[in-house]
Amino acid sequence: MTSLEIRDLTVQLGSREVLKNLDLYISSGLFAAILGPSGCGKTTLLRSIAGLITPKGGAIRFGKQLVSISSLVLPPHKRNVGYVPQEGGLFPHLSVEENVSFALGRRVSRKEKQEIVEQLLDLVGMPNYQKKLPQELSGGQQTRIALARALAMKPAMILLDEPFAALDQTLRAEISQEVVALLKSSKTTSIMVTHDREDALVSADIIALMRDGQVVQSGSPSEVYLRPISAAAAESTGDILTLPARRIGRNKYLSPLNSPVEQIGKQVGFESGQILVRPEEIVLMDEPDENLVSAKICKINYYGHDALVELDFTGLSQTIRARVTDTKGLVVGSRVFVSHKGPFRWMPEKATGE
Amino acid sequence: MLAFLAASLPLFYLLRRALDAQISEIALILFRGKTLEILATTLGLTAAVTACASLIGVALAWMLFNIDFPFKSGLQALVILPVAIPSYVFAYSWILLIPGFKGFWAALFVLVLATTPYVTLTTLAALRRSDWSTYEVSQTLGLNGWQIFARVTWPQIKNSVAAGSLLSSLYVLSDFGAIALLGVDTLTRAIENIYRGSFDRSSASILALILVAISALLIRLEERSRQKLNIVKSSARIITKGVTTGKLRIKLIALLAINTYLALGLVIPISQLLSIFFANSTSINYSLLSKASLSTLLAACLGALIALALALPVGVLSAQGSKLGKVSDKAILIVHALPGIVMGLALVSFGSSIGWLYQSLLLLSFAYALLFMAKAVGSVRSSVARVPENLIEISATLGQKKSATFRRVVIPLATPGLLSGTLLVLLAAMKELPATLMLKPIGFETLATQMWSYTSIFRFNEAAPYALLLVLVAAIPTFLINRPDKGDGLGGDRI
Repeated sequence: MTSLEIRDLTVQLGSREVLKNLDLYISSGLFAAILGPSGCGKTTLLRSIAGLITPKGGAIRFGKQLVSISSLVLPPHKRNVGYVPQEGGLFPHLSVEENVSFALGRRVSRKEKQEIVEQLLDLVGMPNYQKKLPQELSGGQQTRIALARALAMKPAMILLDEPFAALDQTLRAEISQEVVALLKSSKTTSIMVTHDREDALVSADIIALMRDGQVVQSGSPSEVYLRPISAAAAESTGDILTLPARRIGRNKYLSPLNSPVEQIGKQVGFESGQILVRPEEIVLMDEPDENLVSAKICKINYYGHDALVELDFTGLSQTIRARVTDTKGLVVGSRVFVSHKGPFRWMPEKATGE
Repeated sequence: MLAFLAASLPLFYLLRRALDAQISEIALILFRGKTLEILATTLGLTAAVTACASLIGVALAWMLFNIDFPFKSGLQALVILPVAIPSYVFAYSWILLIPGFKGFWAALFVLVLATTPYVTLTTLAALRRSDWSTYEVSQTLGLNGWQIFARVTWPQIKNSVAAGSLLSSLYVLSDFGAIALLGVDTLTRAIENIYRGSFDRSSASILALILVAISALLIRLEERSRQKLNIVKSSARIITKGVTTGKLRIKLIALLAINTYLALGLVIPISQLLSIFFANSTSINYSLLSKASLSTLLAACLGALIALALALPVGVLSAQGSKLGKVSDKAILIVHALPGIVMGLALVSFGSSIGWLYQSLLLLSFAYALLFMAKAVGSVRSSVARVPENLIEISATLGQKKSATFRRVVIPLATPGLLSGTLLVLLAAMKELPATLMLKPIGFETLATQMWSYTSIFRFNEAAPYALLLVLVAAIPTFLINRPDKGDGLGGDRI
């Protein structure tokens, strides 16, 4: 159990700079998720933490211990970091028992080893699997054994690389919940890399959003979801609408959601920029209201538990999607009145993008 | 480093011997009409055998992979079996059958039979590795059988075919037994004649160096032809077995072809040996026979172990792409092409400079190890390279040092390959003749030398049990190595 601090980490693989001056702090005992699209460098980050990659620059600290500074690194076998790669990576020539006890040294007696293995197999919900071979296990079982193997050495930290990516959708929710609960209860600092928003939002205490080799934002799931620092950051955690807007005062904004589009264009002298809106924050009403703007429904995408309604505002080139739970009374081609119930996330002109 | 030194030792001694001669002498030897004639025969024979063996080998492998036979896996194992029969046993059995069986064409015939399995083996392995889905896709794209072979199969297997052809050509270059029995004047026989006749080690060494040069050239050629082959596995799960041809006409032709090869390469020689054996079974000296078998096994096992010890570091380094590993690898391959007689020559010089080594069992085993190390290195390299990188990394994160990882992960996973490499050395060492003739301790007879001394004084009947035993003993490892049911025993592809 230890905290992780990364400062200014730069990693170059071949001619490509995969991580660029990356900063990250995860306090002790938390379950962190690193969320980002594929190719953003999240696996590279994990491998750097494990010591499998030599960085070009920057520092990594486990608690107070410096494990990597510039290109001086502590080799992986001295870091005491449990690494669970994609699909488990169990040793095919060893049984489950031998896999799990792999890290236990010669000083541990055979009997003790058996006890530890038994405890861990109970913990991951696979008792009596000692003699099985990895080939006989399903994908989810392999992941859990790999986790037990990593836990056996009482690691300072556990690294999980897309641990649930290989599982099918139904199994996934169940196993990921079990694993996360288990890791949280063991109070081991855990870092999971994933490209799946829901995996990250559901399980993590802290989410770090990665883009192009950098952590663009980190915080609790609700924090990164509700208060994204940029459109790109917002997009990593869920659907987002970027609307042109003007700031006309403290906490007062004009946008297509509260003012006719042509009126916004006429306003001069105010600061221009964009606001970020989540589709579920748009409220639709079919009763006319003079204070509200209206829009035409041009399409309804029905998903069962909810639906996305595409709205056409006069004068606005893009359509705006609103998420509703009830499509009753909504008809394609009809007009509805629109209001906005969430916070206005204001992005001044210069700060758009990254 | 040690392995590298060991491998370069014979070359060093050859050079030293050769440099004992005067320049004018060297020129004389080189440009004698006889030398050129010998050279032409050697090259001609090598080229002819390699071409025929490659053609037949690929055809056999293709048929055995693509056509459904009853007892297919049995046939696949049988077709490899002739590799266990030493060339001189082949020659001997055909001489028994056809009196006056002699000369270039006879040698061509025998050597093609003996070396075809090299090509069949490598080609079959490549076919098994290839991605079946590509065949299925090309069928749906409207390609016929020949087009599929030319455009889809061939690119995937050609490197392996080239490797098999190289083995076959090196075999011919270094063969001594069959060629001597059949009276063909190639370089190896010339070296033997010069050495035995006049003890002129310098001239023999010069001819030996020519042989080494040709071998090196062939190895280079094979390397050049080898293209970087990236079999991109289009599907995560690689399908290795698919629809096979079931047409009766094709089946019959293929069956006929395979059985003809088996008849010529296996059934006829062995039945010949058996009939001679049973005709004279009362007059066999069993104590001599069993002593020779034990000696053979002892020397070969020792040789195989030394070879493994030397091959392990080279194979590992070479698998990791280290420069030293690659250089050693190449040196070993060239040494592999040394004819046994040349190795004998070189190690006699080396052994006599260190008194206690001369004519010791250790030196003989060492010669075996050097001669056949390439076989072990190849399998060490490929099996080590196949150990998935991520398992090595995980072991490191689980607190294991590099040495511990090597011992606990790499070696166990590579064991099937290491084992088969060692067995290959064992197999080759057991039937080695010329170097054994030169290096064996006094009174120490292996099956091969005992058989040789009988045949060289035309006591063919007494040679039969030795020949038969050689075939039997050598056949066991061949079966083990080529167990078709076992695959490679590694779950490597899964990861």
